[in-house]
Amino acid sequence: MTTLQNLMKELKNLKPIPAVANQLLAVVDNPDSSMEDIANVIQYDPAITASVLKTCNSAFFGLKNPAESIKDAVNLLGTDQVIELVLLKSGAKALSGKQKGYGMEKGDMWLYSVSSAVVAKQVAIKLSLKNKNTIFTAALVKDIGKTILESHVFDEVKKINLLVKDKGFSFREAEKKILGIDHAELGALIAKMWKFSPKMIKLIRHHHLADEKMIKDKEIAAVYLADCICMMMGQGVGSDGLSYRFKAQAMKELGLSADDVSMIIAEFGINMQEVEELLHIV
Amino acid sequence: MKQIVGVADMKVSNNPKESIITYSLGSCIGLVVYDSVARVGGMLHYMLPESSIDKSKAEQRPYMFADSGIPRLFKTAYKLGAAKQRMQIYVAGGAEILDQKGFFNIGKRNYMALKKMFHKNNVMINKQDVGGNVNRTVRIEIATGDIFVKTSGSKEVKI
Repeated sequence: MTTLQNLMKELKNLKPIPAVANQLLAVVDNPDSSMEDIANVIQYDPAITASVLKTCNSAFFGLKNPAESIKDAVNLLGTDQVIELVLLKSGAKALSGKQKGYGMEKGDMWLYSVSSAVVAKQVAIKLSLKNKNTIFTAALVKDIGKTILESHVFDEVKKINLLVKDKGFSFREAEKKILGIDHAELGALIAKMWKFSPKMIKLIRHHHLADEKMIKDKEIAAVYLADCICMMMGQGVGSDGLSYRFKAQAMKELGLSADDVSMIIAEFGINMQEVEELLHIV
Repeated sequence: MKQIVGVADMKVSNNPKESIITYSLGSCIGLVVYDSVARVGGMLHYMLPESSIDKSKAEQRPYMFADSGIPRLFKTAYKLGAAKQRMQIYVAGGAEILDQKGFFNIGKRNYMALKKMFHKNNVMINKQDVGGNVNRTVRIEIATGDIFVKTSGSKEVKI
């Protein structure tokens, strides 16, 4: 069996991200949805509801009166905070494991994913992009392909490293060359299998901007920039390190200068504490 | 005991039982200082070159920037008895993404900011491990001043 055939078999054994995340995104990015619509979608998943309420009532939020329903939680913490919690809780299981092929210990990928999501949201807010929850989620789950590809990367790590260290390949290009598929493409296949929206699939597929034509899509550029910033900041980064391509053109498309990027980094430096707290409570 | 230096953070110690560590430097810089007579060591992990980008954040988190963090690292080490002329300096980090050029190259700018300050103040770097596309974890033992660096995917080595 080829690597690709093997991968397809493995995809079917993957524990999916809870469907509520998907349904929630469909609702929140629709401007006509009400707070009630959002609460209804979340309530449909009792496990997530219980888990979100537990977190809302943790010391972290310091609520005077406990939230007893999702509606309470939305009223007390605001819609955005509750949506974020649901999305984080949905992704936590799939993204927290050790990724041997990428030299990531348990929790590294989760730290990186949550950081990316927080930065992507910062970028989306700064640029007043619509669909900020989709951008947040795409940045959170963009590396889902790595969770399957990692064992194959592990088997071929010598060949991949040779291309990266001596032949000027980016890590993604080396994955593609040696394994026939890269983690962004594989992530898009997983997203498709999980029936994510076409927009989410696209954001995952192009998060390294392998196809330069996609640079004009501001949402893709925002997720891409968030990934670059987190790579530079280094927290939770694996042995693939910073071996991906930087495309200054993406900043141009977003209308961001180098100073703007520095300011986003500084903002993230402040938010980082929040990220760490989120990691502990989710 | 291990003292952990977070991102935009600094630790200085004269406790020989301690080591100071910072994890996974990307484009950020880990600056390590050590005075072997006073047995004082310190480490700064900064993210950006210049605090002029955001003065209020520099006040909130002075260790975020080279120009506001580096003087604080030296001054704190002096307070514990370190002397400038005995200070050993080690620099790590400043990595870059492939094709990251010019003003967008934060790793290089972080390193240049430090070089500029050191040049002005007659400070010499004794050893360094900067640039490239890798992450580095750096650790110093206060008792000996031994510095160890671990690059992602490889074992820790003494430098």
